[in-house]
Amino acid sequence: MKRAAIERTMLIASAAFLLTVPWLVPAIADRFWVSVIAEILIWSLLAASVNLLFGYVGLLSFGQALFFGFGMYGVAIGVEKLALGFWPALGLGIAAPVAMAIVAGIFAVRLTWHYFAIITVVFSLIFYFLALTMKPLTGGDDGISFTLPAVFKFGGAEWGFASATFQYFFILATVALCLYALRRLLGSPLGKAFMAIRDNDVRASLIGLNVYWLRLTAFVIAGFLAGLSGALFAFFGRYASASYMFYHVSGEAVVWAIVGGAGTLFGPLVGTGLFILIREVVSTHWQHHALIVGAVAILIVIFAPRGMVGLWRDFMGRWSGGEK
Amino acid sequence: MTNTLIALAINGLVWGLIIALIALGLSVIFGLLDIINLAHGDFFMIGTVIAWTVLTSTGSFWPAFALAPLAGFVLGAIIQRIVLQPIRNAAALSIVATFGLSMILQEVVRMTFGPTPRRILPPIHGTIDLFGIQYQVYRLFAAGVSLLALAAFFLFLHRTKLGTWMRAVRHDREIATAMGIPAQRVYMLTFGLGFALAALGGVVASPITTVDFRAGVDVLPFCFMAVIIGGLGNLPGTAAAAVLLAFLEGILSSFASPTEARIASLVLMSAVLLLRPQGLFKGLAK
Repeated sequence: MKRAAIERTMLIASAAFLLTVPWLVPAIADRFWVSVIAEILIWSLLAASVNLLFGYVGLLSFGQALFFGFGMYGVAIGVEKLALGFWPALGLGIAAPVAMAIVAGIFAVRLTWHYFAIITVVFSLIFYFLALTMKPLTGGDDGISFTLPAVFKFGGAEWGFASATFQYFFILATVALCLYALRRLLGSPLGKAFMAIRDNDVRASLIGLNVYWLRLTAFVIAGFLAGLSGALFAFFGRYASASYMFYHVSGEAVVWAIVGGAGTLFGPLVGTGLFILIREVVSTHWQHHALIVGAVAILIVIFAPRGMVGLWRDFMGRWSGGEK
Repeated sequence: MTNTLIALAINGLVWGLIIALIALGLSVIFGLLDIINLAHGDFFMIGTVIAWTVLTSTGSFWPAFALAPLAGFVLGAIIQRIVLQPIRNAAALSIVATFGLSMILQEVVRMTFGPTPRRILPPIHGTIDLFGIQYQVYRLFAAGVSLLALAAFFLFLHRTKLGTWMRAVRHDREIATAMGIPAQRVYMLTFGLGFALAALGGVVASPITTVDFRAGVDVLPFCFMAVIIGGLGNLPGTAAAAVLLAFLEGILSSFASPTEARIASLVLMSAVLLLRPQGLFKGLAK
């Protein structure tokens, strides 16, 4: 079998699995795993936002939790304080992080490499501490809990996140749509321009690319992905909390993206899946799962510096004898 | 009001000197190895835990001053060799590796030391009269020790062969290697020293703060602020910035909450990054 054929088969098999999760998983294991898979899908968007910036534009952001937090708070404040319905709250949960990304990006993308990594942490820390002080609005560390609004209403019938199956498919559809859009984006001239900047920003500017605008565009798209991830997570957990804006959340997303494979479309999903599964499987037996998470991160970085997807490609390359 | 202001200002100075010690370790590691060390706060935390362990097992606090830096140095050298050497030329990977390291260190301490924060009583009791306020003697002692350690480190860097090697490798790795300097051993030495400085900071700070497996999480951003405002890799600048920042936060917290003081210094730091990315103390760089 050719490599492309193997990969296509795997893709179809994973798609088939993801589409049947709500029925398949309860049949073979606990229902609980359906929500674990939904959680993996949500967090993979945050990892994808790190990956877009680092893997394709060459900017390592350590502050994506800022936009994740804005997404969460957009939804929670929209539902709880402004009494919005599902769609307007989701809209607010997307608009708030995108607006924040525009403002933060205007400053942040003037810097590169270490300086960029550090200023993104600094911005996220500023708003983390602000969220802690603005207790009446944000609830501080305790956060805000809210009751779910319905997603669709037709007469007396309602569909909403209260139904686990509906929730799962809503999340799956959103994530699939985002990955598809990312794929289209990366194949487009804009995506090629991003990669040109990643490979050599001086040459990119010499051939007439506006490096500043392109970096800002990527930053805002990444802010959108992280914000959407946060908005979905708010609906999923029915609450928002400042603790999700701390730099540890950003750090985990960086680890997921790089361990999965930076600069690949599915790398972030693979990395997120690996770490959340480790956490869920191990933490039921042993409370010190962080030990294993840390060790896996270090081992993969040392032995598979291009991540799990890179490892897979090397393996396939050797196995099929360099056949493309 | 003036009394609280004086107390907070002196507290800021004392704390700033301790932070300077820790941030110096971070800055050395960054300048020479090009590693953004996310585990550095946990190196500090290890120092506080060693202090607590020494105190409870021997009944005396003082051996910790020798033991913690020593243990830190050995651990740091081993970590550099095993974890960081294989990924030497990939700075992004080293961020992931040190993040993993941070998780491991915190979890190991949580397993062995336990999740509950503990307090250490200052080994020097009593207060003295300082500008009209009663001030803990131990805090002055802590400031003195930090100052001494800072001076010793700069002497080491400028007056010994190893220190010269470190500066040479930082300046130009290829030429240093060509001149016969064992760069690999200098890397191990540097990372070990960075860890030792943070661990010493932990011992000095342990009777002032709490001993907790998460103590590093709060210290790390503050150390990074000092490193940035001082100028990346600028060692005297780092020390100066740490003292300045802690002093400013101390004064600010007399009329604002500590969180608001922290926000103010973060905003200052963004301004420095954007307007003077070489740091505020360019003149101090050597």
